[in-house]
Amino acid sequence: MLILTLILALIFPFSVKTYILSLGIEVLIFAIFAMSLDLLLGYTGLPSLGHAAFFGLGAYILAYVSSNSELALGLTDNLLITLPIVILGTALSAVILGFLALRTSGVFFLMITLAFAQMLFSIAIRWSSVTGGSDGMTGVPRPTLGIGTWHLSFTDRADFYYLVLAFFCITWFLLRYIVRSPFGLALRGIHANEQRMRGLGYNTFRYKFAAFIVSGVIAGIAGMLLSQYFWHAVPHNLFWNMSGQALIMVVVGGPGTLTGPVIGATLMRLLPNFASTYTERSETLMGLVLILFVLLAPGGIFGIFHKKR
Amino acid sequence: MTKEKPAGFNRRELLQATATVAAGYTAVPLLAACSSSDARPAKIGVLLPYSGIYAVLGESITEGIRMYLDEIGNQSGGRRIEIITEDSQMMPDVAQQKARKLVEQDEVDFVAGIVSTGVLYGLRDYFDSAKKLLICANAGGNKISRELRTPYIWRTSFSNWQPNWPLGDWAYKNVAQKVFMSAPDYGAGHNMVDAFANSFQALGGQILGMQFTPFPTMGDPAPFITEIQGLDPPMVFCFYSGASAVAFVQSYGEFGLTDNIPLVCAGFTVEEDVLPAQGTAALGALSSLHWSLLIDNPINKRFTSAYKNRTGKDANVFAVQGYDTGRVIAELLIAVQGDTSDVSRMIDYLAGISFDSPRGPFNLDSQSQNPSQHIYVRRVDEVDGALHNVVIEDLGAFTDPGDNSLG
Amino acid sequence: METLVIQTLNGLVFSMLLFVMAAGLSLIFGQMDVINLAHGAFYLLGGYIGFTMIRQYENYWLALIIAPVIVGTIGFIIEYAILRRIYGRHHHLNQVLFTFGLALVAADLIRWNWGSYVITVAAPPQLQGQVPFLGIQFPVYRLAVITFGLTIGAILWIGIERTRIGMILRAGVSDAKLLSGFGVNIQLVFSGVFAMGTALAALAGVIGAPIHSLYPGLDFEILILTLAVVVVGGLGTLKGAFLGSLLIGMADTFGKTFLPEFALFLIFAVMASVLILRPSGLWGLRGQR
Repeated sequence: MLILTLILALIFPFSVKTYILSLGIEVLIFAIFAMSLDLLLGYTGLPSLGHAAFFGLGAYILAYVSSNSELALGLTDNLLITLPIVILGTALSAVILGFLALRTSGVFFLMITLAFAQMLFSIAIRWSSVTGGSDGMTGVPRPTLGIGTWHLSFTDRADFYYLVLAFFCITWFLLRYIVRSPFGLALRGIHANEQRMRGLGYNTFRYKFAAFIVSGVIAGIAGMLLSQYFWHAVPHNLFWNMSGQALIMVVVGGPGTLTGPVIGATLMRLLPNFASTYTERSETLMGLVLILFVLLAPGGIFGIFHKKR
Repeated sequence: MTKEKPAGFNRRELLQATATVAAGYTAVPLLAACSSSDARPAKIGVLLPYSGIYAVLGESITEGIRMYLDEIGNQSGGRRIEIITEDSQMMPDVAQQKARKLVEQDEVDFVAGIVSTGVLYGLRDYFDSAKKLLICANAGGNKISRELRTPYIWRTSFSNWQPNWPLGDWAYKNVAQKVFMSAPDYGAGHNMVDAFANSFQALGGQILGMQFTPFPTMGDPAPFITEIQGLDPPMVFCFYSGASAVAFVQSYGEFGLTDNIPLVCAGFTVEEDVLPAQGTAALGALSSLHWSLLIDNPINKRFTSAYKNRTGKDANVFAVQGYDTGRVIAELLIAVQGDTSDVSRMIDYLAGISFDSPRGPFNLDSQSQNPSQHIYVRRVDEVDGALHNVVIEDLGAFTDPGDNSLG
Repeated sequence: METLVIQTLNGLVFSMLLFVMAAGLSLIFGQMDVINLAHGAFYLLGGYIGFTMIRQYENYWLALIIAPVIVGTIGFIIEYAILRRIYGRHHHLNQVLFTFGLALVAADLIRWNWGSYVITVAAPPQLQGQVPFLGIQFPVYRLAVITFGLTIGAILWIGIERTRIGMILRAGVSDAKLLSGFGVNIQLVFSGVFAMGTALAALAGVIGAPIHSLYPGLDFEILILTLAVVVVGGLGTLKGAFLGSLLIGMADTFGKTFLPEFALFLIFAVMASVLILRPSGLWGLRGQR
């Protein structure tokens, strides 16, 4: 089944129109974002209302390093340099925020992640001399990859699709490995009953902290891909509407399953597109879908088709 | 915990998988076929904000385009013309998604629209890489005529520099030699302020202070009005448009500044779309723009009465820009004899398009890819019981310099 | 010097609006431990209903009464029918998700009915005009808003401190279970509190409309600031809501002109700091969950 999907994904650019290819790229990017939140929310049980902070941060860091606009550094578009910078930047922020936020729990954790994302949003939208303000940072080029004379460019849409697909696959396998490892099982244990885990001798703070950082970095990478795709980074990437969308993707798709968020991302990105030909009320539809799932199907779409024992 | 699946497929699973794949492959092209249409009508994607602070601008431009196209029977160059509208919501990423949809799914021949400078900048790379023509009907972001110029984006509106640079000069000579400036904190706001400041300071004018208000929504304008009041300048220059213009000017009046501190602004601030809501707070405001409702030429007179009959409201500069965009599209189709398949050929013809517009003579400057046009100084006065912008001086023709030498 | 005084007045106007909003949210949060992300949508709904009433009947005062009643009723129904069914281990997240979905639906329905334009609302004719103050003209309506806010604050304070219902509320904030042990129908109290909270939001919407106008997106903008007020000021206390709104309202107003780039950032930085150092807020009840 997996191999079949992979083959389909590989021939995708050749068999569909460029517009569908664009949608495919968007779905994959948001699937990475949603999966990162699932690690935090679905597996570890940490409900973050501010995950867009890392998403947008990745976008802005990449933009600042690569863009040719006069606001940015415009150093390079080579992934060998930009990717480590994005990872470092988002990891650092995750360390700081995690250190502070993980002391709280429940309601307070929700609010502090929200506050943090809003802090970043307010910097992005008001510090216009550095971030470009509400116009955002434009002129972000598509990435390249190269050492010395060997050089790959991802400017062409089909090439960029393969790059995003590669990141998606790496993320998928990496996260699958993590959640099935002892580390991942410990996370699920913390989700189920943190007290008991501590009683068993686990330093739960360290586990949560690690999950927080991994999840933040992956979200940042998704953000990086988004800014390369759209050729710009905008404050909207940091807005809590974006965090909310990610939450919906995880919850509606199926938390704690990894596949669920991918389904959720596909739904959330494609539904408004196709629904808008029939109705203008796609936002109402989304809200209602969310409400229905919260009330009736907490396992998400994935949960409906795979009844857990 | 689920058990691991045994490796390999059984026959039933293989059949299922093949069926799914086959279905997928037939469904996708089918879906695509449903959305693509036959190539005969010339399709124009109109991408404008129909929500938010600039929604009225979007509506006015659309009315202008439709009015012109209706006048010529919705056909030109031997082809029927069809319009597909999309809401940009004034957000660069939403706008790009909609642009993609228009260009790649709806397969429009070209796209027209764009109100906000931020959105225009956010779309520049897309149109440049897709090699599709964008006719910008409003957004005046200077960079599109300068360092971010691309052969695929042409304007039928103005560059933010254009109405404001001549105003700085005029204001110094006719109003005051010191000014306080106020504009929203985004590309257009900064462009407008820089242009005015450039010519104002060149004559020795002094800038007492500047405020850049949060964009897109500034919230309660009171703190900004109070700041202006505290500095008590002899003149205020500002740029606002749409709902922000209403809020700002209303507060200007509420706090009593209308009678005490002359307001000199970019014409959009007191344009016909916002004057009714602003009321007496706008009385006496001086502004500069490339058009005015009361310009005395036969084309403008015909246009304004036709617009009033059609919509029940007075025309505004955005409607004029839409109207001229409709004309440019029609002329372009005639020039290429309906053949929109070659973008470079269409671009070659664009620079040659010129006609008489409600604003006066209209022609596209090939260097800045922006119109060369007259700039008028106007004052808000009561005319036949209603407030309008009366033209008090025609400053002559201005063309965007194509570089940043003049701000 | 005069400018500072006027700016303080401007800040006070915004603070009073925030206060009415925050009182509602703090009540809901403190009483029921529910984060109502739809609170901003109720503000907007109240404002739009008020706008329609003013346009229809040309009576601002009627709108001031009717809009909160309508929205409060809607709030009551929502709590009674749906919200109370959300309980269990992850109830905070589920409440957040539910109210978030509600906010999306409400915002879109508002757009459907009233359009996506920005709507400006005029102050009532009795409150139009200016009064001369310190050499400038200060709009009467804004002074009225300050008065409204203080009056509502006083009414709420009397209601909570001096009446039997208020006593029940205060007890419920501390320990809901104990209260139901005394025979109080705690479910009804919760529905009533939610209704009261949303009615207050709608009231703020009508009062704020002539100042901020009405448009889709305003709901989230005002919600986020109200959340900051409730967090900083303190959960569950009127004093916290009042002092918190003063703090945030002044910071926002002065920040816009003195520190335009960092004002908003500072507000959220303060919010984050309070959450870490003193989660129950600066003037909140200690020993909270």
